[in-house]
Amino acid sequence: MIEVKDLWKTFRLSREQKKERNGPTAGRGNGNVDAVAGVSFTCQPGRIFSLLGPNGAGKTTTLRMIATLLKPTSGSIKVAGYDVVKNPQEVQRRIGFLTGSTKLYDRLNPNELVKYYADLHGMDKNKFKKRKEELFALLGMNDFAKRRIGKLSSGMKQKVSIVRTIIHDPEIVVFDEPTVGLDVVTAKNIIELIRSCKQQGKTVIFSTHIMGEVSLLSDDLAIIHNGRLAFGGSYDEFRGQMQTDSLEEEFIRFLEGARQ
Amino acid sequence: MKTVLIIFKKELIDSIRDRRTLIAMIVVPLLLFPLLISISSNMLISQARKAQQKTLKIAVLTGGIGNRSIHADAFERSLAKRDDVELIKGITENEGKALVRSDSLDAVIVFDLEFDDTVADLGQGVITMYHKSTESAGIEKGRVRNFLDELEEELQAERFANLDLDVSIVETVTIKERNLASTKERIAEEIGGLLPYLIIIFCFMGSMYPAIDLAAGEKERGTLETLLTSPAGRLEILLGKFGVVMLTGLLTAVISIFGMYLGVRASSEIPPEILSAILNMLELRSVFLLLSLLLPLTIFFAAILLSLSLFARSFKEAQSIINPLMIVIIVPAFVGLMPGMELNTKTALIPILNVSLATKEIIAGTITPFILAEVYLSLIALAVISLIYCKWVFGRESTIFRGT
Repeated sequence: MIEVKDLWKTFRLSREQKKERNGPTAGRGNGNVDAVAGVSFTCQPGRIFSLLGPNGAGKTTTLRMIATLLKPTSGSIKVAGYDVVKNPQEVQRRIGFLTGSTKLYDRLNPNELVKYYADLHGMDKNKFKKRKEELFALLGMNDFAKRRIGKLSSGMKQKVSIVRTIIHDPEIVVFDEPTVGLDVVTAKNIIELIRSCKQQGKTVIFSTHIMGEVSLLSDDLAIIHNGRLAFGGSYDEFRGQMQTDSLEEEFIRFLEGARQ
Repeated sequence: MKTVLIIFKKELIDSIRDRRTLIAMIVVPLLLFPLLISISSNMLISQARKAQQKTLKIAVLTGGIGNRSIHADAFERSLAKRDDVELIKGITENEGKALVRSDSLDAVIVFDLEFDDTVADLGQGVITMYHKSTESAGIEKGRVRNFLDELEEELQAERFANLDLDVSIVETVTIKERNLASTKERIAEEIGGLLPYLIIIFCFMGSMYPAIDLAAGEKERGTLETLLTSPAGRLEILLGKFGVVMLTGLLTAVISIFGMYLGVRASSEIPPEILSAILNMLELRSVFLLLSLLLPLTIFFAAILLSLSLFARSFKEAQSIINPLMIVIIVPAFVGLMPGMELNTKTALIPILNVSLATKEIIAGTITPFILAEVYLSLIALAVISLIYCKWVFGRESTIFRGT
């Protein structure tokens, strides 16, 4: 479970950013910007939570705080019952983190890379061996397990990324725009991974700006815009209150509402 | 500690599979010294040989208008007997000077118009020698000077014989010059500065690529983000990376010393005295002391390189930040090469320069324990400060996520 309560993240702007910035979020104090401003939501185990918003809405910042990469300015996040600031290592042990923009180590092979992350998570040798064999067989990775990652196709690399994310069998999985830049076939692997995580009872949170993915996967969703929550609830509730014909139009309606 | 080793092992495999690191760490330092030594010694020796064996073109003239000096004629005749001299005749003093300037003539020797009379009156006859001294021309000038010295000795002997005196009576003082600096010390003075200079630069170059790749490269790939979400602590990640950067820097330095050893051994042109002095320089104690100085210096290099590389958004940006730093490293290393620079309580505190100067003294065998301790302390303090700074940089969100 992930519990986010009144979450704020304020960044100090550089001199150039101050000049360039003409955005609406002034921030609390001079020269600051609130990337996330008072966001609260809960992600339940066995359900898929979508974080929806346009570019620069604060989705990545929120997910980075959940994944312990950034420290919240105020508010709290509990992941599997552990506070991300007080017990970051306990949180890190329980999460898998995958972003669409992340690449891999080109000079390692899939075997070495997966072993590296398993070792970092302190996995038991036998448990690792069993899980690796399962996942490699499931995704058909044995043929290229010893080939340098730099020489693999983007589809093969994506499979390596997936195994890297879930090798330690995390109870919480965080996906930051996981399908960005992928072709339809490769993106399908990710969609299947998200679904299988849900079936295994894991807590899944993913960020996207593609409405199609939301309708395909979401149990719960939050729309975030300019760091603020514009909608929070279940997907069914979202559909129930729709005032327009399509999901895209409804999404835009919420964004415009948040702007006013 | 286990996590540090996991990260160290992975980063080491990743780095040694990088062709750029391998070239900078092994190929360049291993080949550069043998190449430098053989090319420079061959060039120097062949140039010197050429200057020594060259037939000198000389014109012997009498200055002003009047009769030609008898001594000038005698001198010309004595030169004509030599195989290594070609006499140029029938030119004026000004023509001769122009020919020297244009390298068509090696020297013009002009006897003063009153030379014969002055010498006969027991005075000092004046001979002017026109020459053009550049690097190799030093040897040629020396050869012409020798001919003139011989003439002077002859005239002197003649004059003393006429006066029925012994030449030795004018020598009131005999100066016996004995240079007590050992060959090792002299070599240390001559080329000892060059060795640390090159090794320091190699050490820096060896650390450069891994530092860029393991920090900026990882940031650019986005893999740093996933690494930071693992249970590995930031300090553990930093130490793992740091270890690899340091090791490659140190290995590059060791390989360059080995390359130098091979170069010296393989070169047949080096005179035996210098060869044994260089091999002495490479004796185990000196090498060990040099490496012990390089260790804290490598920590400093690794910490600075990693900090700058962490700040950069991409591999290219890191390169453009770090390349100018090379000059900052070269300048103090180069200052150590300058004559008159000595290791004292002040210079022992200046990083890089202190290693450069201390190495010179280690090679010469003249370093004192007190100064050596000061160098160590200064280097260790620098290493600790840079390491703390690097940890601070790695802990900053604004650095790690700069530009994302």
